Amino acid sequence: MKEYLVKFFVNDEPIELRVPANRTLLSVLREDLALTGTKEGCGAGECGACTVIVDGKAVNACLILAPELDGMHIETVEGLAKGSQISPLQESFIEHMALQCGFCTPGMLMSAESLLRDNPHPTRDEIKKAMSGNLCRCTGYKKIVEAIEAVAEKGVYDK
Amino acid sequence: MKDFQYLLPQTLEEAVRLKEEYDKAAVFMAGATDIVVRMRDYLLTPEYVIDLKKIPGLDGITFSKEEGLHIGCLATMNEIAGNEDVRKYYPTLAAAAESVGSRQVRNRATCVGNIVNASPLADTATPLYCYDAVLEILGPNGKREIPITEFILFVRKVALERGELVTGIRVPYREAEGEFRKIARRDQVDLSTVCGTVLKFGDEYHIAMGSVAPTPLRLKKTEELLAGKKLTKELIDEAAELAPTEVNPIDDVRASKQYRLDMVSYIVRDVLTKLA
Ligand SMILES: Cc1cc2nc3c(=O)[nH]c(=O)nc-3n(C[C@H](O)[C@H](O)[C@H](O)COP(=O)(O)OP(=O)(O)OC[C@H]3O[C@@H](n4cnc5c(N)ncnc54)[C@H](O)[C@@H]3O)c2cc1C
Ligand code: FES
Ligand code: FES
Repeated sequence: MKEYLVKFFVNDEPIELRVPANRTLLSVLREDLALTGTKEGCGAGECGACTVIVDGKAVNACLILAPELDGMHIETVEGLAKGSQISPLQESFIEHMALQCGFCTPGMLMSAESLLRDNPHPTRDEIKKAMSGNLCRCTGYKKIVEAIEAVAEKGVYDK
Repeated sequence: MKDFQYLLPQTLEEAVRLKEEYDKAAVFMAGATDIVVRMRDYLLTPEYVIDLKKIPGLDGITFSKEEGLHIGCLATMNEIAGNEDVRKYYPTLAAAAESVGSRQVRNRATCVGNIVNASPLADTATPLYCYDAVLEILGPNGKREIPITEFILFVRKVALERGELVTGIRVPYREAEGEFRKIARRDQVDLSTVCGTVLKFGDEYHIAMGSVAPTPLRLKKTEELLAGKKLTKELIDEAAELAPTEVNPIDDVRASKQYRLDMVSYIVRDVLTKLA
């Protein structure tokens, strides 16, 4: 099996690995880097549990091949907190009880983070549309939308 | 996923040469949103994957009224849907690109990948059919162009010869009014049960439907019926009755054949009524 040398950044930390072609960013994060915040739901782009931010854009880690990682800047849910201080978005999710089992939450957070960076004051419809690639089987979505609205209102993402 | 060799050409010529050499053992990759899912399910087991993303100059979207729109083969759905010119001069294409998958998928998926994948329900196909878009092809024997209606041949079958790739899509500019419609089970992140575009250029009409035959289709008889006429209620009724006779949908998990026929009729009636 041929391996590929890839040099990339995860949450600003430089990483160098040899990877086979037939693995995904998702499996590299979870199995090689022990960053298990990013979840696998469907493995096929449908559920958003694996959402990470690559070069400033929200993408499905399950649809990116390992050799593609060379040169990428990847942000995962582990990068949201600063030290032991969780981010205002994470706090808002807790405050609004925007999770039950929590399996979808890392993906929800990364989708919301990328939405709010692009659009610090989204309307409810814009939130629903931007978050539609993230499935949640527990909450019914209402509290997730409210948590995002609340953190936007505080102006945390104003440029 | 079966193992394969990942190839990363730096120029178009190199990409063509690799594909010519490995031919059917190789697949091109752009956003990978189709191929990774198919490889994961062992529906696609290539020996070589040729990633086009490091070739410079292929992600542009340019427009002028004289030259029309040009979409480079690496332009993503979100780049197309968010482009000012596309939104202004080709709103049906912007709407179709915006209807594909989720925000995450649209950040990777390309329009060219959507067309080369040649699924009957490819959402960006029907506006491109209506605008008489042209695929720009590069191969071992140089460049050629082919109308989209002749490019998509069957489910997952396109008119690419050995070694050829698509460098971009050219969409001629004509002032038009009309709409793209997507009928799906869920209003976001779902594949089309039926999708369609109806465009009016002066008193000429172009109508295309997807997910109602092995390829997207232009409804030529309905277009002829409407050509040069004023849109009266009687004419719209006639068009809505004729349109479903031009398509040949199947029953599947998403819907029955009859439902699809009804939706073709509905899209034609509804958009024409708005245009009247
Ligand atoms: C969760 C999910 C939801 C989706 N929802 C929709 C939807 O709503 N509507 C819809 O239409 N599609 C949908 N799709 C399908 C897919 O996203 C699109 O077809 C996409 O546009 C394909 O583009 P890509 O760049 O990802 O293609 P890739 O997967 O990279 O390639 C697709 C095909 O095109 C070929 N190819 C790519 N570029 C070139 C080139 N320049 N020259 C020659 N061949 C080339 C490849 O070899 C391959 O055969 C969805 C997919 C997923 C995973
Ligand atoms: S695991 Fe990637 S989208 Fe579901
Ligand atoms: S909290 Fe359980 S899936 Fe969302």
